[in-house]
Order: sequence, then C-alpha cells, then structure tokens
Amino acid sequence: MKTAARFALLAPRNALVLLLRAYRAVISPLYGEVCRYYPSCSRYALEAVQEHGVLVGAGLATVRVCRCHPWAAGGVDDIPRRRTTKNRLTSFGFVVPLPERKV
Amino acid sequence: MDIIGTVLWPIKWVIELLLVSFHSLWTFTGLDADAGITWVLAIVGLVLVVRAALIPVFVRQIKSQRKMLEVAPQLKKIQDKYKGKRDQFSREAMSRETMELYRKTGTNPLSSCLPLLLQMPIFFGLFSVLNDAQHDKAGVGLLNINLADSFANSELFGAPLKSTFAQQFTLATSGQPFNALVMVIAATMVILMTASQFFTQLQLMAKNMSDETKASPMYRQQRILLYLLPLVFAFSGVAFPLGVMFYWLTSNFWTMAQQFLVIRNMPTPGSEAARAREARLARKVKEQPSITTADGSLNAASSGVIETPRQTTQRVQPVNKNRAKKTGSPKK
Repeated sequence: MKTAARFALLAPRNALVLLLRAYRAVISPLYGEVCRYYPSCSRYALEAVQEHGVLVGAGLATVRVCRCHPWAAGGVDDIPRRRTTKNRLTSFGFVVPLPERKV
Repeated sequence: MDIIGTVLWPIKWVIELLLVSFHSLWTFTGLDADAGITWVLAIVGLVLVVRAALIPVFVRQIKSQRKMLEVAPQLKKIQDKYKGKRDQFSREAMSRETMELYRKTGTNPLSSCLPLLLQMPIFFGLFSVLNDAQHDKAGVGLLNINLADSFANSELFGAPLKSTFAQQFTLATSGQPFNALVMVIAATMVILMTASQFFTQLQLMAKNMSDETKASPMYRQQRILLYLLPLVFAFSGVAFPLGVMFYWLTSNFWTMAQQFLVIRNMPTPGSEAARAREARLARKVKEQPSITTADGSLNAASSGVIETPRQTTQRVQPVNKNRAKKTGSPKK
C-alpha cells in the first residue's frame, strides 16, 4: 500500500520525464548541438526533475537555461546531487521507488 | 493562455512598431498603403532588423571558432585519448573534458539556444498579430484598427496574406469557392524554403567543416536533419498564414547569405573552404602585375604579401631535436 502511494507521489515527475524524453527525441535533433554546457540544458532539466521533482527541478532547469547565452563561458555544470535517494531510475529514465529497507 | 499573452505583449508591441514604421516608409515611397506587396515588404523590413540585431551573437561565435585553432593540439590530445572507445562512459568523459577545455580557453564554438529562443517569440508574436488582424481586432500598440484591417485584407497577386493553405484546402474539399493562388504561393514558398535550407546546410557541411568534424557522429546526425527539415517546412507551410511564412522565408534567405559570406571570407580553419580561400588569395597575388623597380624595394614588399596567406592555418609541427639537426632548419 505504501509503495502504491510512493508511486503516486512520483507520477507528476514521471509525466514530466516522459515529456522531456519526447522533446529530446523529436525537437532537440532539429537544431543539433548548440548548448555551451555539459550536460546540455535539456539533459540537465531531465536529471534535475528526476532527482529533485517537478517544482525544484523545473526551477533549476529555468535558471540553467537563463545562464546559457552566447556570452557565458560554458563548461561542465552538473546538477546539485541529493545526499540520499529513496528512488532509482529505469533504463528509460522513469523514477521508481526503491523497495523499503527491512529493519 | 493569459500568461502567454502577457509574455508576448511587449514583443507584439515592438513587432507592430517595426511593421507600422516600415509600412509607412513604403507608403511614403509611393507604394499603395493597402497593397499586399507593401505589407510583405514591411515584413521583410522586420526580418532585416531582427536579424541585424542578432549579428553580434553570430560574430562572437565566429570569433571563438577562430580561436579554436589555438587549442587544436589540446583538442587532438583529448580525441586521441578516447580514440576507438565507443561506450557511453568514455563518450561522456570525452564531452566533459572537451567542454572544460572550451571553458578554460574561452573558445566555446557553440552558440547556445538563445538565438533560436529569441526568434521563436518573434515568430509567434507575428503570428498572433496577423491572427488578431484577421479577426478585425486592433493590435496592442501602433497597429490601430484601420491598419489591422488593411493588413488583414491586403492581397499579394490576389492571395490574402492572412489565409493559409489548410484553410483553402478545406474550402476546396467541401465544394465551396476557394483561392487556388494561396495554395500555389504557399507551395512555392515551401519549395523555396527547402531549397535555401538545403543550400545553407550543404554549404556548411561540404565546405566549412574541418576533416575531424566530418568524421564525428554529430555530422551524421546533421545529415539526417537535412532530410527531415523539408517535412517540417511542408507542415508549417500548410498551417501558417502567408504573412508569417514570408517572415520565415526572408529569415532563411538571410541565413543563406550570411553563411555564404562567412564561409567565403572567414572559413573554418582546416576546412575545404579555407583551402579554397588560400588558393584564391594566392591566385590574386600572382595575377597582380609585378612592378619591378630598379632598387627592388617593391619586390620585397610584394613577396611579403605572398607569404601572409601561407601562415594562416597550418600549424608548424614540432620536430624532435635529433631530427631537426639531421634535416637542418625546417623547410618553409
């Protein structure tokens, strides 16, 4: 039961993950590689949403897109990592809860 | 919907300012105020201003591409380090190191998505302005109801600027009277857009890429894109009104001309265009009538001219101390 609730809590972020994956598959290739950072803005957004959820992740991604302009130095810029995680990623990129630790 | 409207408001205001200014300029030069050609030329003027405003971004990109030459050895080192490694982790590590090198040396050749992002609201702003005008609504700024009406009802060769291919096609299939000219013009524009895009991309890929870039997977991705874009154009050519299509078409032509000039005069070092430019410069020097004077001072000057194009792209290879002794001083 508890697991079902955790799946439900992760639903909005998984919806956004699906959307971002679709964007990266269909729209990104249209204009090729232009981002001055590594990982690229869309990949950054994907990772941020996976790790921090819809609200914080979208905020992080917005700040990043604003930082990416022709006068920025660019370079490696990873998302801030959480210290602990209760979730894992599927190969597609969906976030699913890790099984509860037995005490 | 309202959020989008608020964001687009200032953009629409500026678009209307430019459109109306150019419209009055063309009217002032003697064109009919209500004619389609006057409004089309106003749209062309809008494109010219927008694209001219984006020139600094482009110049910056080219400048960092020139600077790439200085870091080419370091870049080569990274590429050699990951040569033949195709797994995901190696590729990621390679991208990381490359990006870090760009940052440290200030030579990032990528333009970021800002130029694209900037053009999108302009495009949708124009779409929105045209759409409002079509429904006989005044604009948010200088485009008053009379001008909006004139814009909406203006016709180019008898095809209203507000109409779309799809709209006429629906009329045609339902047996109502329709304007075939709209379809002809829209189709022509799609073909022209595809042609100019093809030309721009082919020019870029065939002539202005160094041999290393041509071997990269990114190059293949770009090739696929080349054959995908006509589909995008065809789709938008059906859905967007003619007026918006004129914006896009003119913008495409601008890109083509800009690309041509840049490739001709400032080619990427190590590309075919760079070699062609060197050959052209060398030929020019040869064709110049040689002025020989008694003391030969001018001769010295002209030989100096010949030497300059040579040092443009080629990096002098470092020679082992022992080898350098054997062969003597390196050949020119």
